Amino acid sequence: MADWDELGEALADYTISCNGNDRLRKMQRDWSRTLHFVCSDTGSMFSMLVERGEIVGTPEGHVGTPDIVVTTDSETFCDMFWGDLNPVQKYLRGEITVKGSQEDVMRLDAISYVIWPDA
Amino acid sequence: MPEHPPAPAGSAPRAGSPLHDASAGSAPSPAPALALRRSIGTATATATSAGLAFAAIDYLGVVSVLTYAAGAAASLAIAVGGVLVLLVSAIFAELNGLYPTAAGIRLYLGRAVGNRTALIVTFTYMTTVVMVIAADAFIIGSAIRYVLGESPALAYLWIAALLGMATTANLLGVRLAGWVQTTVTYSVLAGTGVMSVVAVVHHGRGFPHPVDLFGKGAVSGVQAVAFALFLYAAFEWVTTTSEEARTPPVITRALFVAPVLIWVVASLFALGLAHLVPFARFHGSAYPQLLVGQAALGTVGELWMLALTVLTALNTFNGGFLVASRFLYAAAREGNLPRAFARLNLRAVPWLAVSALSVLSAAVAAVVFATDQWLLLVAVGATIEAGIYAFASVCLVVLRRREARPRPFRLRLGRPLAVVGIGVFGLLFVATGFSDPKDAHRFSVAPMAVIAVLAVLSSVYVLVAVPRLRAAAAARAAAARPRRRPPRSAPAAP
Repeated sequence: MADWDELGEALADYTISCNGNDRLRKMQRDWSRTLHFVCSDTGSMFSMLVERGEIVGTPEGHVGTPDIVVTTDSETFCDMFWGDLNPVQKYLRGEITVKGSQEDVMRLDAISYVIWPDA
Repeated sequence: MPEHPPAPAGSAPRAGSPLHDASAGSAPSPAPALALRRSIGTATATATSAGLAFAAIDYLGVVSVLTYAAGAAASLAIAVGGVLVLLVSAIFAELNGLYPTAAGIRLYLGRAVGNRTALIVTFTYMTTVVMVIAADAFIIGSAIRYVLGESPALAYLWIAALLGMATTANLLGVRLAGWVQTTVTYSVLAGTGVMSVVAVVHHGRGFPHPVDLFGKGAVSGVQAVAFALFLYAAFEWVTTTSEEARTPPVITRALFVAPVLIWVVASLFALGLAHLVPFARFHGSAYPQLLVGQAALGTVGELWMLALTVLTALNTFNGGFLVASRFLYAAAREGNLPRAFARLNLRAVPWLAVSALSVLSAAVAAVVFATDQWLLLVAVGATIEAGIYAFASVCLVVLRRREARPRPFRLRLGRPLAVVGIGVFGLLFVATGFSDPKDAHRFSVAPMAVIAVLAVLSSVYVLVAVPRLRAAAAARAAAARPRRRPPRSAPAAP
């Protein structure tokens, strides 16, 4: 199980990778969403605030009303944010569960695909 | 480290969201129930379900039912089909409760019969989307051509134009708002229902032999019911929206209410068609709905039904392209299709998946246009759908044994009913697979041959190409870069 320090480190790297990718920023320019994350093994929760494709915050706890809620174990979250696993494979095996519209779920996956196409 | 701004007013209190290290000994806590900013309720989910099922090809589906059950007996076949579909509703409601995900049947099948079989079945299943898009383009193009009085050869221009517009809209990321989809669906159902009532009360041929289900042959009643299933086909795709449902019962309710709406409308339409239009006239027509409108209310009725036909395209082209292209995207991301199918344009649309669907649909529509075999499409679709329902029944039987988890909906006598489902839908699969869609008194191997070709292609692809794609993806991932996540530091020695 990963603790908050590990999750925070992964989130920081993810934020830099996303916000520094021009193609991704252009693709997601019309995408402003609040994402909630729940670690099923530790009960930890955190949020991600996206404004016009830019990640503007990844606060601890659940902030605001979510557009998407993602639930999986903390290790999977860490690997996902480091780009070490393909989230779609976990999702299709039912190991990552998501609440949200299909379009938002695809947009969320598209982030990983654009910044780590080989994951 | 990521920034940690203070929570805004009205947000969840941080004290209520402990981010703790479970290694410190705390027990995991269950995820709290969360309300989404945008979620769908029962009315929208029901409209989605009914809209996915009620396409322009359903008008031809009614013709197929009437081919095997004459006159008013067609509405009996549609009712029997509806009862069977309610069993399907219950099966999907339970499976969806177990796995409330857009991956839907792909996941149930994977858990029940293994990944390879699941892939083969879902690839074959997805071909029905291409067929429905192609058939709808053909039907709408033919209907427009007919009303405008143009030469039959011009119909394909309309078909190409419709598919071109649908492809462009999808590539530009244009989506119908939820309320528009809901309005369109209820308008099409209500409009068809009202016109059918007008046709039914009109002076016509009457409603003979309402219970003579086997009047056209020893197994014609079975085949009529099998074709009636096609009228409800795809209603179960509403399970792909379960991740945005307000609560789990929303999808369950939609699964039960949508087939009832379709039953009412399709039954009325069958009665109206049989009452006002001679069989010889509508059986050879690609636009029976226009014939009903014309017979009931003249030019006004014809234009009314044309407008409804065009409206169905909004749902078919929007929903069909969306469901199928996102399936191709997910399959490519999973490593089951070439990576190119996951490529996104600057509007976050998987452009190759959308383009490939468009080209395939245009090709199928061209074949239908050249051969006039539109009823064969209905037969193939009905056969595949019966097969999918049999597979869903298998999933329930297997997952009842493997998954002890509680589900929000549990079918009473689920296992015996699912076994009955395997038998009934298996029988209907064979009944439609060997039917001659143009003549109730003859049998044909054409529908089953088309499905066999699709299944063989799908199997060869899954068994030969997919392992190679996955091996290439694994090699590429290993060569591209090492693991990025820093290794966890070893705990200090005591």
